[in-house]
Amino acid sequence: MATIAALKHPQLVSALDGYDPGEFYCELLGSDKQPGRQIAPLWHCLETSELSLLQQRASDAEHELFKLGITFTVYTEKDAIDRILPFDVIPRVLSASAWAKIEAGVKQRVKALNLFLHDIYHDRKILKDGIVPSKLVLTNSCYREEMIDLDLPCGTYIHINGTDIVRDRAGEFLVLEDNGRSPSGVSYVVENRHLMQRAFPDLMAGLKVRPVSDYGKRLLGKLREVAPAGIDNPNVVLLSPGIYNAAYFEHVFLAREMGVALVEGRDLTVENDRVFAHTIAGREPVHVIYRRINDDFLDPDVFNKTSMLGVRGLLRAARRGNVTLANAIGTGVADDKAVYAYVPRIIRYYLDEEPILSNVETHICGEPEGLAYTLAHLDRLVLKPVGESGGYGIVIGPKSSKAELEAAAAKLKADPSNFISQPMIDLSVSPTLMDGGAKPRHVDLRPYAITGRDTWVLPGGLTRVALKEGSLIVNSSQGGGTKDTWVLESDA
Amino acid sequence: MRLLSRNAEGLFWLARYLERASSLARVIEMQSSFGGHDRENGWNWLLTLHTDEPRFRERFEPTADSIIAFYLTDKSNPGSIRSSIHWARENARALRPFIPTEMWAQLNAFHGTVEEIGPDDIRLSQLPRTCVQLRAGCLAQMGVAKGLLYRDEGYQFFKLGLMIERADQTSRLLDVKFAQGSTVPSSTAASATATPGTETADDFVFWSTILRTVGAYQVFHRLEPNNATPERVARFLALNPSHPRSIGFCARSIDESLQMLRSGFRLPKANAGLEVCEILMEGLQAAGRDSELVGRLHEFNDWVQRTLIDLSSEIATAFFPVPPPLQPAPEQPAEASTPADRLDQVQSQGQSQTSGKDQTQSG
Repeated sequence: MATIAALKHPQLVSALDGYDPGEFYCELLGSDKQPGRQIAPLWHCLETSELSLLQQRASDAEHELFKLGITFTVYTEKDAIDRILPFDVIPRVLSASAWAKIEAGVKQRVKALNLFLHDIYHDRKILKDGIVPSKLVLTNSCYREEMIDLDLPCGTYIHINGTDIVRDRAGEFLVLEDNGRSPSGVSYVVENRHLMQRAFPDLMAGLKVRPVSDYGKRLLGKLREVAPAGIDNPNVVLLSPGIYNAAYFEHVFLAREMGVALVEGRDLTVENDRVFAHTIAGREPVHVIYRRINDDFLDPDVFNKTSMLGVRGLLRAARRGNVTLANAIGTGVADDKAVYAYVPRIIRYYLDEEPILSNVETHICGEPEGLAYTLAHLDRLVLKPVGESGGYGIVIGPKSSKAELEAAAAKLKADPSNFISQPMIDLSVSPTLMDGGAKPRHVDLRPYAITGRDTWVLPGGLTRVALKEGSLIVNSSQGGGTKDTWVLESDA
Repeated sequence: MRLLSRNAEGLFWLARYLERASSLARVIEMQSSFGGHDRENGWNWLLTLHTDEPRFRERFEPTADSIIAFYLTDKSNPGSIRSSIHWARENARALRPFIPTEMWAQLNAFHGTVEEIGPDDIRLSQLPRTCVQLRAGCLAQMGVAKGLLYRDEGYQFFKLGLMIERADQTSRLLDVKFAQGSTVPSSTAASATATPGTETADDFVFWSTILRTVGAYQVFHRLEPNNATPERVARFLALNPSHPRSIGFCARSIDESLQMLRSGFRLPKANAGLEVCEILMEGLQAAGRDSELVGRLHEFNDWVQRTLIDLSSEIATAFFPVPPPLQPAPEQPAEASTPADRLDQVQSQGQSQTSGKDQTQSG
């Protein structure tokens, strides 16, 4: 379709020339496939932008990200290569009312998951009542017996949470996955916005977008809320595996935004079950640790004995209540892909409410009905291993060959409880700047919720976009990029 | 919370690597511009200066090209400019939450250009141009630090690293004549030890070149017109209180930084370093009174470099983390190793690559 601007200026090659979302829900155009009043200034700006000029500006912007070191690191045999997460200049826009639903839904989910974690490490009522199978929880590799009967400040286990949400053909939001261990990506939310403001102020003109730059301040506030009892002015630190970690930039970003020290395991010691940091003036006590190291590597005394990243004795200090770990140890049970299937029931059980955000329909292959259904409909389902992250090991039935499906079925039969299956969701699309202009590309959304006494949700979130035509896998490790996510102040 | 020990060490070594790269670029630039007619043998003294002879000869034939490549672009030489900038950046990376973004951004971009220096850029015809770029990059980083780095304890550690390395490098430069004399016997080789008043035209060229290398040619001639004798130049570089690259100036800056840490930032642990710094300053004063200094220059430089090693190990013991982090292959010290030598080298903050394999991150 020719845009109005192109009709007025026939020589102009606009970024939006020929944009057609096809049968998918478009994040900018909505269900009626027309730019609504709310995004009119943005649409007009894109329509009147010369494609080559916009591409040039986009490439400059990416170059700047590289220069600033807003990068993740890919390791090969020989080298460490810094890469930027590809950034798309056309933002994803969420209306105030759509956001209100996401925000309420995420808060509800986080609240239920924290209650669930408290319960499974204390009375196990939900297991006794048969709502969630005991086996699924108690034999889960992420279940940590060390956490049994430990009471945490504010009862909070998941302080930082990322909920992966997709939108189907009808524009309905569905939760795809919870991330309650150490979800990454929030730095890109803030840095993408800063980049937008610096490099594309014209695109932002005329829209009232809710700010995201106070994330660090809010996070520090929440972490202070969960400090050990009796500590009025807690020392908060961010514990990172160090500069060779792929997400190191994010650790830098978070420490900087919170104004706290970024420490590595070797900067800390535990003495008499208290944690101290080595400073030039001697040791200083540490009260709250936002750790970006997995459970396994956190304390060589208890978990992985060979870990050089962790701190000896940290778990004992945490069990004594002398230090708060965020997120708590053992939260991996709650974001397990198999437990995920039970989250709607978990919400009803603890909160006596209907889930505000629905799950994607999920078949648990560890259960006979689920396995039978999955094997019978494999060509129409998405098969996911429960233990993997980063989009690895996923088999998309409708896009797989007969041989691939047979191989998947064999794997499934060999270890059914390692899999879940879901119907294929036609993820929504968002116009994305490619070589030939804006093209529809599939996106998801990861809002970030932080919890101390209560939960705050960052108005925005990480929009990941699958840059390959037709691809549904948005993970950065599989060719995904990001977009700035705009939550509008009001629907008016 | 106060400055982490690890970050203090990082700032110290960031500055040292930067100054090391910058000094080496100056030396190479000088040699390429004023190296005399003997293009091949003229470069051998660099190997002697850095005690790299055996290590180098194991792998290469000493030619101008191979020596230049060894000091400019060789990744496997921990003393090359490329390695120094690499480790400066690795330290800066660990300091990113602490240092201004502009410091990181400049160093990150500069590192990119250093990584791209290829064989064509270090041919003799291109070499001066490349060295100018390298110097400019290092100076820009020091400039950003000076302009933006917050003046807390961290800045003092940055300054300590810079000044200790610079004093060491200037001292090595004063020893060039000695290094040259021991590799290429020439008519001028012994002239550093010649009786005052018998200097040759070669001497004048040589010592003027040394002055140019540290950017002091102009000011020296303003202060002491037509007086570029080995005696006067050596005294200027060793003792002048006002030229930022003289050993005397560096010693005073080191003293200031340590005083600041002790009194301004209430860190009594700075005392051990201050004591060594006092020895250094007293020694410099004594050298100033020594009419035979130029004849004993090598001995003097040896003593300066040893005292600087003591100084850094006192600073390391007082402030840096124990045990020290894992290291890349240590650089060969200028003189045969003493225990203090090795200690100094071991403190260099080059985080081991192996820690990268032991990483974990979800989400």
